Amino acid sequence: MGLLLWGIFGIEMNVWLDAILRLQIIVIIMTVTVMGLIYLERKFVGRIQMRLGPMRTGPYGTLQSIADAIKLLTKEDLRPSTADFWLFELAPYVTFVPVFMTLMALPFMEGWFVRDLQLGVFYIVAISGVTVIGYLMAGWASDNKYALLGAVRSAAQLISYELPLILSVLAVSMVAGSLNLNEITLQQDTVPNIVMQPLPFVILLTAVLAELSRRPFDIPIGESELVGGPWVEYSGIRWSIIFALTEYAGLWGFSILGALVFLGGWQWPFGTSSFWGDFDFVYQLFLVGTKSFLIILMVMWISATFPRLRIDQLMAFCWKILLPFGFIQVLINGIVLTYEPPEVLRDVLLFGTSSALLVAMGYVIYMATKQPPREERISPGLAARSVQ
Amino acid sequence: MIGVLKSLGVTMGTFFRKPVTIQYPTEHKKVPERDRAFPILLWDFEHDESFCTGCHACERACPVECMTVTMMDNPKHAEGTSKRRKILDEFFIDYGRCMRCNICVEVCNFDAIAMNNTWTGHELSTVDRQDLVMDRDQLLGLSKNMQIRPWTPE
Repeated sequence: MGLLLWGIFGIEMNVWLDAILRLQIIVIIMTVTVMGLIYLERKFVGRIQMRLGPMRTGPYGTLQSIADAIKLLTKEDLRPSTADFWLFELAPYVTFVPVFMTLMALPFMEGWFVRDLQLGVFYIVAISGVTVIGYLMAGWASDNKYALLGAVRSAAQLISYELPLILSVLAVSMVAGSLNLNEITLQQDTVPNIVMQPLPFVILLTAVLAELSRRPFDIPIGESELVGGPWVEYSGIRWSIIFALTEYAGLWGFSILGALVFLGGWQWPFGTSSFWGDFDFVYQLFLVGTKSFLIILMVMWISATFPRLRIDQLMAFCWKILLPFGFIQVLINGIVLTYEPPEVLRDVLLFGTSSALLVAMGYVIYMATKQPPREERISPGLAARSVQ
Repeated sequence: MIGVLKSLGVTMGTFFRKPVTIQYPTEHKKVPERDRAFPILLWDFEHDESFCTGCHACERACPVECMTVTMMDNPKHAEGTSKRRKILDEFFIDYGRCMRCNICVEVCNFDAIAMNNTWTGHELSTVDRQDLVMDRDQLLGLSKNMQIRPWTPE
């Protein structure tokens, strides 16, 4: 490993000191990225709504996030008198820590992690599911009916959408033959996985939207009905930990996961090559950044476009569409890979089946939207009564 | 399903459209010609005096009694340079009380009072209510300095 940063931290160093230094780097990059993402989202959504977004603080509003951060950190930290003290105070950290822990297994460039885990993908999807407990704690401890409703909804939603997320990543790691993120990325040196597995990419994108409670799936937060979901009662630094850090660090982490697993991470789109030897990490960082940026923009675009789903639509979409198609994809991948066909045939087969499944999924969703409302299907008499 | 993809196209379309935002304190939207801000007095450049003769018509018509007018003999009439026998001496309008009803403009016999149709009639916030009581020179100032816009479309 001739990488510069590896060189700094790869010298004979205490394991713990090494890990702490790497974590420090991630903390700093994460904070800056989160502030940048908040600014980016406000600008991007503003332009989509034909507004300008923040313009006053600094040139083109670039200092808006810093001003917001200072405001949030100096704001009074309120706690309702009837709140459960320990649960209320700890909930933001329980929400945030799992999201931060997912960042530890992500390679930001070739071979640079906090820890190189053989079960990296498994670790990430497992640990990011713990966030639910934080939401439930926050909702329960706030002693507020809206917070509790939001917490229960987010528990239902996050646990449901965990499964398609796992299945989509599993399908890809079957193709790659590894759960190690570094190896999955290295294996995509010629063709990124999105070409061979388009369906899992779509499933992952949808599941990530739901996992982060973003707009089409923001039932737990639902400003207009639940006034903010599990964190109605939070303010100041605790709110900023929950909202800003968890949501945007999660978005960042999942987008990097998507970029590594599906878009080929630090590899160039057509074949990899080492241009600058020791300084390869410059373009590797650039490529990972660009690819994750594209996914982030995609997520922001989707969440700026669609209205909120109903809870039954959300659940039906997960259990009746995403999950079966995820299972079928895993099954087909298993069958294709078991017979070990020659590499070209294997790629063609994987691409063909996955694209066919994607089209089939689109058709199923299309047919589902064409259906008459549930009341009419089940009992015409009931529907007629409800019309009156 | 097709609608979903279409809606994505629509939002991308609006993304590339020009934002409609007007950055207010530095940039002003053009107010309409018939905009009714606060009443101001007009200046007669021909005789170099105000159109207003201090006849109290507007003061009597004002529903919120925000005006105070006093009249005096016109010195220019004595000299023979003006037809107006009487001219206004003092004229106060309390902008804090005025409700911009346009009645003073309607009742004026000499077309001497008009509603301000520029941004100067809207951005009038002060820290003291007394600053909203305008005297004669302030009311005539805009017209005298040619800072008003014509009330009829060009």
